Amino acid sequence: MKTTSKEVVVTHPPCKMACPISTNAREYIQLIAERRYQDALASIKVQNPLPRVCGRICVHPCETACKRGLVEEPVSIAALKQFASDGPWREKEARPVTSGASSRSGPRVAVVGSGPAGLAAAKDLALLGYGVTIFEALAVAGGMPQVGVPEYRLPKSVLAQEVGDIVALGVEIRTNIKVGQGITLEAIFEEGFSAVFLGIGAHLDRPLDIPGENLDGVWSAVSFLRAVSEKGETGLGRKVAVVGGGNTAVDSARSALRLGAQEVHMLYRRSREEMPAANEEIEAATLEGVKIAYLTSPVEVLSDSAMPGRVVGLKCIKNELAAPDASGRRKPVIVSGTEFVLDVDTVIVAVGQIPETSWMDGKLTLGKRDRLIVVDDRTTLKTSTEAIFAGGDAVTGPATVIQAIAAGKRAAIAIDAYLTKKPLDKTAVIPEARVERPEVRPGILKKTTKFSRSHRPSLDADQCVNSFQEVESVFSEKAAVDEALRCLHCQLGARIDQARCVSCLNCVRVCPVNVPVVSKMGEVNIDPVACQACGVCALECPVQAIEIDLDSRRQVSDKIKRAVAQSKSAEPAIVGIFDLHGNFTSDHLALLCKDFPGLIPITVFGVRRIGVGHVLAAFESGAAAVLAAPCIPSRDPYPDSTLRTKRRLNQIGGLLDRLGVGNGRFAVMDMPEEGLVDKDAVTAFIESVRALNPSPARLPS
Amino acid sequence: MITLEQKKFEEIQKMTEPFARVLVLGCETCAAMCMAGGRQQAEDLAAAIRTSRKMTNQAAEVESDGVGRQCEPEFMTFLQGAASRYDAVLSLACGAGVQMLAAKFPGTVVLPGCNTTSLAVIEELGVWAERCASCGDCILDRTGGLCPIARCAKSLLNGPCGGSMDGKCEISKQVDCVWQLIIDRLSGLGQLNTLTEILPVKNWKPAGHGGPRKIVREDLKA
Repeated sequence: MKTTSKEVVVTHPPCKMACPISTNAREYIQLIAERRYQDALASIKVQNPLPRVCGRICVHPCETACKRGLVEEPVSIAALKQFASDGPWREKEARPVTSGASSRSGPRVAVVGSGPAGLAAAKDLALLGYGVTIFEALAVAGGMPQVGVPEYRLPKSVLAQEVGDIVALGVEIRTNIKVGQGITLEAIFEEGFSAVFLGIGAHLDRPLDIPGENLDGVWSAVSFLRAVSEKGETGLGRKVAVVGGGNTAVDSARSALRLGAQEVHMLYRRSREEMPAANEEIEAATLEGVKIAYLTSPVEVLSDSAMPGRVVGLKCIKNELAAPDASGRRKPVIVSGTEFVLDVDTVIVAVGQIPETSWMDGKLTLGKRDRLIVVDDRTTLKTSTEAIFAGGDAVTGPATVIQAIAAGKRAAIAIDAYLTKKPLDKTAVIPEARVERPEVRPGILKKTTKFSRSHRPSLDADQCVNSFQEVESVFSEKAAVDEALRCLHCQLGARIDQARCVSCLNCVRVCPVNVPVVSKMGEVNIDPVACQACGVCALECPVQAIEIDLDSRRQVSDKIKRAVAQSKSAEPAIVGIFDLHGNFTSDHLALLCKDFPGLIPITVFGVRRIGVGHVLAAFESGAAAVLAAPCIPSRDPYPDSTLRTKRRLNQIGGLLDRLGVGNGRFAVMDMPEEGLVDKDAVTAFIESVRALNPSPARLPS
Repeated sequence: MITLEQKKFEEIQKMTEPFARVLVLGCETCAAMCMAGGRQQAEDLAAAIRTSRKMTNQAAEVESDGVGRQCEPEFMTFLQGAASRYDAVLSLACGAGVQMLAAKFPGTVVLPGCNTTSLAVIEELGVWAERCASCGDCILDRTGGLCPIARCAKSLLNGPCGGSMDGKCEISKQVDCVWQLIIDRLSGLGQLNTLTEILPVKNWKPAGHGGPRKIVREDLKA
């Protein structure tokens, strides 16, 4: 994409574009890289009501779109969300302020269903000032994440805590009350609610429609998983066949293993390629010992006279794939003569779910297929009945948690517009998600230094099936920071003001990954999709024609000036400029400030961004000394720039000497393998600064 | 391009010392392309002068600015007010720019912050090598595109001299003997016989030896 002189086209990073709720993943990842974990959590919670849940079970389309995937593997965006939202700093999180919810005098909205759609709608409506009541059919809140997702993927305590946070906003949850049975929609309106959001999900399993389906030992996946979530045991047999290829099927299979099944089979009618379950789930199931049979369909559930009414086996048949069907996937066609019998005593049916909407007949329009609730469009979510809105699996059929959250958030905006009789604020509407991984020239990818993806610690595959303990645990701080530093800062990179550019070609020459391209007639263009925001060209441009949005020259200068101005220590003020790519934790930073009270740490994405202006700004603001700490080469993503950075820092040192400011007031200290600085070296530096004569603690400003 | 280098800081410091209010003025064309006098360099230099003045407890009002080119009158109009606000203007332009600035603002002290050197090519980032002596009478057609006026230490027109050894000039092993390069290039082009025509003694008037040069294009003048 070219930028012409005054026109700057701003687009979102691919992660944000791919997310159904348009999460600014880039922002919280940057904050984690800056070791600002509490701020990262605050950034996440602005948009996502269930970050601890999403951090664990989201299908993360953001990762599919992540540009880092072109280099080695995508950034672990979901796992980083978990890191930020699981951490101990969440206790200190500021509670959002709500107005009308507690007073209950304003308009009230009823939400039916406490799954992700309902919870998201409830939270946003409460923040807008509405009195919200959630009607939940089951005994416990949470919807499918509560009763459909097993404990080893999502501990109930985690979900309970996130639900609790929403309740704390003043949202009321009434459990054990099924709308359509225990209470009617009319009664809800009579109680004084002005609008209703239906987020009832899809909790009815589709039948297999094969003989023997009603035998004892055949379970619907939803009831099986619900029983597991409620009681923790189910009376399951020893040899289990799960029919289906989605996440529900995998959840059922992996749960069956944990309940003591000796053998667990999964039968999917198409091939691995078409299997809808998440890759990591399929891999985990395989590692745990689930035997997956592809291109296999069930034909009949068998019983015999010895055990009438009970499952003794499952007759199956093999398929081959023909041309795509209406869903766009290749149609499975049975291969005659390939029948075989699977020796099982339990069959779990997980071939899709539909919503329980029969009670809505006559009250609002339902679709022909699966009796899904019909809404007028994805933005307003209005059903055919006045004041009733709907979203989530009940409207789309089984989808994902994040899509349900998106529906709930959209509904909140639509309901607010409806109740205030104002037109829908287009700018508030969440844009449609687009999962598009950018394209980048191979030459640039080749020059990008590789850093492998961090993985969450996980239980041993043989051990983890012995319990429902959470299989994957959260990133350690070090792993999270290393992972966050892999982010390529899409769309935060360099932008050339063509009116100022003099075609000196400096940016073309200094870019460590060869992004800027000069045309025949001298116009230089920087592809905002390709630029990695390293900052080198912006620093080197002689005419200040390049602006950058990550640690720009001005941002770093301001950071330094503010920090020096705010420093209250009686000690000589020493500005320490540290490379965020170093191997240090937030504790290292805290300890540094404790050990050296006069040290003012400034962290930057690379000391390669530091120019003479920054160092002089530090002195002009009143610093007594400056130290710069470049990171160790093995962690530097732009090793080509290292030499130039070192030379520049030496030059700055030389200039400072000639200005009469240097001579002991400027030091370059390579970061150690671990930590920020060599303590002894800093101590010696501070001593020498103190000894300088005449040496005011601060230079006259 | 015209190449220039910023003067050593000590020299700049001494030049600007007598003046309390100084404007460091960058030039966004040749000076910027050499990373010597662009807006950024002007800003950095102004900060350096302010800092050094502080170290010696001197009063200072040192600011920076930039303008497209200092060698053209149209750009001077942008500086009208500025000239009177400062005691001195430290120009980072080439010699021509400094002089136009001084001519347009005769009441202001104008100081040169850079040394203008030559017409050069950029060999790699950070390295500018002289190629043209602006002699006003180009003979590159006779020498295979290599200039002996600029690149031969003696500006010989019919070289090489006896000091050429292993392709290097007698003044330094780092300097190529351009006449060796000329012979190699002409051989490659099949034009070595060009050198049998002896070039006569050079008329140095076009090179400026007879007085300052001026180009006048009657077809362009108003």
